[in-house]
Amino acid sequence: MAHPITLPSWLRRLSGRFGGSPSAGAEGAVDPAIEQPWRKRWDHLPKRTAGYGFTHADYAEARRRAREVARSTLGEETWRRLQRQGYLDLPSQRIPGMVYRLRVGRRIEVLCPPGVVSPWPWDFLCINPTYPLPEEEFFAQLYLYLRDREDIVLKVAAPQPWDQALGRTF
Amino acid sequence: MGRILVANRRGHQVVEWETTDTEEAREQIAAAERIIREAREAGCAVSRKEGDRHVIDHQPFDPKVEEYQIIAPIAGG
Repeated sequence: MAHPITLPSWLRRLSGRFGGSPSAGAEGAVDPAIEQPWRKRWDHLPKRTAGYGFTHADYAEARRRAREVARSTLGEETWRRLQRQGYLDLPSQRIPGMVYRLRVGRRIEVLCPPGVVSPWPWDFLCINPTYPLPEEEFFAQLYLYLRDREDIVLKVAAPQPWDQALGRTF
Repeated sequence: MGRILVANRRGHQVVEWETTDTEEAREQIAAAERIIREAREAGCAVSRKEGDRHVIDHQPFDPKVEEYQIIAPIAGG
């Protein structure tokens, strides 16, 4: 009777990094149909696209699913406020008085009342996901970062003098 | 049953696990734990559902959590 070969864990991890299908074993198999975008590089993609071979139907379905998950990420009350206003305001927890205004698919606007000094020279912050995402889905993720991990936003934000659509969402 | 929403260009895809004490459930939980661990190692954040909304979570994977979500790393520019 043949015995199955068990690869050492470092080799299984290496195989996964290069697109190999992880084998069922102590670490568990992951359905290869589940796309894990952090395993790939996406820099080569044109702005506001999801990749070659993505059809109009794929975009429509992705946006539909993104809307569902954005709603459940934000919670019903916040989602309704977004739909009513077209934006969400989040007060900074690090800089008293400063407010972040988020709009779907756009740069973050930094609002400072008189007397409050922004840490940035311009009023718009360009922050993108490192892989392509539907814009409503990323909007909800950015809201979580600002609310729960503002330190990361302060570290990575690229200030810009004007508003513009984000490049890595669609 | 628990699940992970893997946010990606498809909108999201779902990884689920049963919490029953079976070999199949243990494999599903191991797979879910692996996805969370690898995503965090690659710079992703992870959120979990609390009430009717998500909050960013820093705790180790817990199979009793109803829903996780993998949050993309962010970069300026």
